[in-house]
Amino acid sequence: MDNFALRYPFTDDAKQVLEGAELNSRIIEMGFQRIKNALEGKAAGKIVYSENEIIEEIASYAAARMILGTLGNQFITGRFAVNESKIARAHLNKENQAAVNRIALHFGIITNENLLDIPTYLKYCPKSTPYRLINRRIVSGKVEISENEKLRLIEEGIRKHMEDIPRPNDPPEEIKKAGERLLLELPKHQTRITVKEGDHPPCIMKLFESVKKHQNLPHTARWYLATYLIGIGMEEDAIVEIYSGLPDFNEKITRYQISHAKKKGYRVPSCSTIMSYGLCCAVCRIGNPLKWHTISNIRKEGIR
Amino acid sequence: MNIRNIFAKYYETADIRIPEIEKREFGIGNNKKIDARHLNFANVSEFRKYLCMNTPMFVSHSTAYYRFPGATPIQKKHWLYADIVFDLDIHAEGKYGVYPLLENMKKDVVRLVEDFIVNDFGIERQHVMIVFSGNRGYHVHVRDPRYMKMGGEERRELVDYIMGQGLNYLDFFPSRETVHSKLMGPRPDEGGYRGRFARKLIKKLEEDPTAISRIFKKDQPRKFFIDGIKEGNYSKTTLKLDDLLNRLSLIAQDLSVGTVNTDVAVTQDLSKLIRVPNSVHGETGLIAKIVDDIEAFSPFEDAGINGENRRIKFIEDVPELEITETKEFRKEDMAELPLHKALFFVLRKSAVWA
Repeated sequence: MDNFALRYPFTDDAKQVLEGAELNSRIIEMGFQRIKNALEGKAAGKIVYSENEIIEEIASYAAARMILGTLGNQFITGRFAVNESKIARAHLNKENQAAVNRIALHFGIITNENLLDIPTYLKYCPKSTPYRLINRRIVSGKVEISENEKLRLIEEGIRKHMEDIPRPNDPPEEIKKAGERLLLELPKHQTRITVKEGDHPPCIMKLFESVKKHQNLPHTARWYLATYLIGIGMEEDAIVEIYSGLPDFNEKITRYQISHAKKKGYRVPSCSTIMSYGLCCAVCRIGNPLKWHTISNIRKEGIR
Repeated sequence: MNIRNIFAKYYETADIRIPEIEKREFGIGNNKKIDARHLNFANVSEFRKYLCMNTPMFVSHSTAYYRFPGATPIQKKHWLYADIVFDLDIHAEGKYGVYPLLENMKKDVVRLVEDFIVNDFGIERQHVMIVFSGNRGYHVHVRDPRYMKMGGEERRELVDYIMGQGLNYLDFFPSRETVHSKLMGPRPDEGGYRGRFARKLIKKLEEDPTAISRIFKKDQPRKFFIDGIKEGNYSKTTLKLDDLLNRLSLIAQDLSVGTVNTDVAVTQDLSKLIRVPNSVHGETGLIAKIVDDIEAFSPFEDAGINGENRRIKFIEDVPELEITETKEFRKEDMAELPLHKALFFVLRKSAVWA
């Protein structure tokens, strides 16, 4: 049996394998475990041998999606999406061209001589400087991408797909219960950010909004948010707590990076730098985000 | 003199073309640009009837297409896709300061459409519509189905690209080979900013060579250098390569379209209302005209409402204006002007009907 469906359980191939398969307690439990692994940051997939095991493994993915859909918790779904897309990416790295293209097609990523159309490119490119449109080679409506970048785009496509889960109409009781059990697995304190409109510049408010929704943030956004929070004099613990809302949060790394940034005394980037990161979302004309705290309330209100 | 009657009469025969009008949300304004929104119309004749009967001072439609355009709140409208609209806008001191600048702005519109939208984004010209905003700029509507599903962040990326946000020309020269001291860079036949940079440099060398360096005054070194650039080789010169790179910063300026600057929010906002093409702007009385030939377009010749001359009395001083072809007016001056010019000064609150 081809293990393609096992490696990429989100494809139509996987759906076909599952045809006629039934959802039972064992599968639901496996689905639960799959999400729990993601919450604990265990990236490795299971080694399976028999055809039956393969079907069960794929079914566990479908069950996991049902649980997540029923639960509707963006934090857990986000963690799951990041984890699963990383597992799929590890498989992708070992695939031949034909298999890569097969997955790429799933997301409409069709390249011709390394050229990809701009709308598809923008839909899946990571939000980081080298991927910004302005830094790319462009040939009449198409962007040149390397093979490796193509894989990155596919990974992003998988992650987005994983985040987009429909709410099942009438989920079985066992699925609901599995969801409730997952909530108990959550890190003790969920992020509490209490800010009101106007406390911070719009771009920072937008980042808070993303963190609250447990959305993944690009590196530049994390970096900017950290320098800003340090800049306004927030305590290290409080900053770490804010970052704990991110789907790929790792306390040790976060703590190290924040204290490092603090030690080095990195300054808050200027508004034009933030614009070049693609994080600017308003027209404040303040030059540097920290200046927000020096302008009048009336001016703040005028800026949206 | 009732201004609304003038507008209403215009709307009776106005050329209104709004694709998929039944999927758009409309907003109207009398005191401000938008007093009420969430309106919707089943077809053009229903919309025209509304304009003739109620005649708002401003009317806009959503760039977005919705399944339920009249539903509130916005989440219930069910967003389907949206036109991409670029807003080119200028600001200047004084009430009449911007008008002399409009003419100069046209070349930015042309550059936006031809260089960026058509060449770089690969959008066919037939999907691009240029509209005079009715006051201080232009709106460019893009209706390429491939682009219309794009989300706000992706649209922002397009605007940032056009505005040149984050552009660093030194990134064009990554493959500096120290061994042979060869400087490789963009070729003029490349797309995007790279090609634009190389083409602009060659043009500069041909038209104003000393702006780069005195050594290019002579034909031979200049020709040698240009031939190199055509192959992406920037080393065919006696200039020190680091020095050359510094001098090239001159070329990197103005590669983008500066006037899109002012209103990125228009492009980014997925539920934005934009002035209805060919509707009247309530602050100027000018038509937000769909422009077919931008080079030949002149607001007061092509976007005015036609009608008999009217007498007006000025209530403040107005400078001589080229765009309206009017002399300087003093407070209390009386004048008889063609309808659209009279309307303009009345709506700009510089005059009243006499």
